[in-house]
Amino acid sequence: MSDSPGLATLLRHHGIGRRDFLTFCAGLASALALPPVLAPKLAHALEAARRPSVIWLSFQECTGCTESLTRADQPSLEQIILSMVSLDYHHTLQAASGAAAEAARRQAMADNHGRYLVMADGSIPLGDPGYCTIGGMSSADLLAQTVAGAAAVIAVGSCAAFGGLAAAEPNPTGAVPISRLVTGKPVVNIPGCPPLPLAMTGVIAHFLAFGRLPELDSLGRPRVFYGETIHDRCPRRAFYDQGLFAKSFDDEGARQGWCLFQLGCKGPTTRNACATVKWNGGTSFPIGSGHPCLGCSQPSFWDAGGFYRPLSRPAGLGPGMAAAAVAAGAALGAVAASKRPSERQPVTLDDLETKS
Amino acid sequence: MTMSFANGLAALRPRIDAPVAAFLSSCVRCGLCAEACLFHTETGDPKYAPIMKLEPLRRLWSQEFTVMGRLGRALGLSKPMSDEDFARWEELVYDSCTLCGRCSLACPVGNDLTLMIRKLREGMVAAGHSPEGLRKAAHRALTDISPVGVGAQSARKLIAAQSREVGIPIEIDKHGADWLVLISSMEYIAFPEMLGALARLFKAAGQTWTIASDAYEATNVGVQIGSCDVARAIVARTVDAAHRLGVKGVVTPECGHAYQALRWEGPNLMGQAFDFEVIHLIDLLDRWRAEGRLKTKGKSGLRLTYHDPCQTSRRGGLDPQARRLLNLVAEDFVETSDPGPWNWCCGGGGGVSANPRARDLRFKVFAAKKRQLEAVRPDAVVTTCSNCRNVLEESLEHWGMELPVLSLTELVAEYLDEVPS
Repeated sequence: MSDSPGLATLLRHHGIGRRDFLTFCAGLASALALPPVLAPKLAHALEAARRPSVIWLSFQECTGCTESLTRADQPSLEQIILSMVSLDYHHTLQAASGAAAEAARRQAMADNHGRYLVMADGSIPLGDPGYCTIGGMSSADLLAQTVAGAAAVIAVGSCAAFGGLAAAEPNPTGAVPISRLVTGKPVVNIPGCPPLPLAMTGVIAHFLAFGRLPELDSLGRPRVFYGETIHDRCPRRAFYDQGLFAKSFDDEGARQGWCLFQLGCKGPTTRNACATVKWNGGTSFPIGSGHPCLGCSQPSFWDAGGFYRPLSRPAGLGPGMAAAAVAAGAALGAVAASKRPSERQPVTLDDLETKS
Repeated sequence: MTMSFANGLAALRPRIDAPVAAFLSSCVRCGLCAEACLFHTETGDPKYAPIMKLEPLRRLWSQEFTVMGRLGRALGLSKPMSDEDFARWEELVYDSCTLCGRCSLACPVGNDLTLMIRKLREGMVAAGHSPEGLRKAAHRALTDISPVGVGAQSARKLIAAQSREVGIPIEIDKHGADWLVLISSMEYIAFPEMLGALARLFKAAGQTWTIASDAYEATNVGVQIGSCDVARAIVARTVDAAHRLGVKGVVTPECGHAYQALRWEGPNLMGQAFDFEVIHLIDLLDRWRAEGRLKTKGKSGLRLTYHDPCQTSRRGGLDPQARRLLNLVAEDFVETSDPGPWNWCCGGGGGVSANPRARDLRFKVFAAKKRQLEAVRPDAVVTTCSNCRNVLEESLEHWGMELPVLSLTELVAEYLDEVPS
């Protein structure tokens, strides 16, 4: 698509002015943890950027990730970003079907060989290739054929990144994550069920502006969005520190907005930016709305022992102290004393008479 | 007999909760707490650095609640805690800490060292390493209500005498009174005129009050010695009396720790919020002032300064109230250095004044307060804690300074514009 117009021109066609565009770039620079001086450079790079071809492959998934990326009715970051790419193939969004759709995919691959991006959601049924065939091809073959000429692969959502629901026990289809099958190409994991739209668009914008992918962690996730835990930035964190916990969904603690740790919140072990970026245009996120974090962006979150089971609970302490000790243990990654602590004996009148 | 090393550890262990773990792991060893503590500034001895006083608590946390500490203990790299540790720390934890809270305020990472000393005392007392003076006071408080031995009969007589003195009845156990008022030990034994002043103030404000025959004492030795069992028993007495008499609220007197014990620790000790108001006398007087119930006439011409009690100003937030009342009755009110939240302790709070062993040390560290007072050369110093008042008087005498110490409540009562009813 090297003959396509620059992004700024395209955006003006979409009714998005330069001022909006620069505001967007400043916000994006901040979201990507880039120094503020880079915002104009980002704007310049994006303005001149040619729209890369994107081929979106959907495997064993629920379309929630696509919903997350596209569901916005205001000119938003998400919409702007969608204008940045040339989405040449997407099961759900494309008008063409059948042989015409497959032809479009092959055309885009041939035209942009070595430069196009593959975005994939869903897991690959490696155990039984009969599941999830498209145009007569198994998922694994479709993926292998498509990534062969790609610049990079972006695994969108927990299914693509870690296997997700399909890979949960007992994993009837033998589902595996995208990264297991892709070799020789950079793979970025953007986990979440679904992932934050900003995490998806941020990675694309970074690739557009700088020609490379952002820094990744050991699980292939961009550090800027997955560097901190939900717990690190949780608005209920102060209650955790004080040992104030909701014990059920309708008790006094829940009404007071106390910490949801004992209701199974996985915030302490979940790396994502929900607590700061939030959802639905910055409205709220699960913990903000009174529900514990399910840990949906962590590997194997379906099999983590139950959404409403607390992460830890030490033995041998009374109910009041248990809450505080749970907090102490989790706060520092500490382990509760291995010996069951003996019960404290109360101070008696005799004690007070004792000579020291 | 329950006191033992094992019981000390068992009492201390559950005190190590999330805040304590966070505090201990975030200490940056800057030493600012030492500079904030009068026991360190006045002696120059590094053992009096507040964080040093917490060493047994820190070691227990490190050895049992951190991975590295547990590993070190398993490999024999760190010495296990022993009774000897508690014994050696008794002086640091009790004689050289008034729970004044200045270190907590100074800590740049927000560690509440005072809270941790309070917690450490729970372990110390359970292990049998608390000062004899405090243990005796706690014993008296549990058996005779008053930690200084003012029995119910003596209290009744003192109250009756003051009632006659001012010519206003003071009713005991009056059901349905607006306020249940607590009186501090020091007021019964050293400053009984407080009772007369209260009678005049409540009458002027048009509010009814009473003293309970089974909870006439405000002082909570349990909070000072650091035993939740003793503290809870004393708080429960007041809560029961408030319910029995059906009062709207409980007034804590000019006493720092009584306020701390009932207002802040009380509901936590009882495990539930109170269904009555707890208010410090100074807060109540200032409320009356704002409502126009408290009319005064004339002002003292003396040059007056104010000693902020740690528990009401720094840890209670009542420093603005005290100053508004002072300006009501003082023509020449002068602040010392570090007024309000940054005040310097009199040296006798947190049970130190009830611990005869600590006497010489507390006289020594009074030098900080002495310097403050000498710098402004007042005619008298006003305060709102009867324990501070007694300690100030003793210490001023020790240092050969002639300076009257006044109660703010009594001072306000002196300038009351009483309308004959």
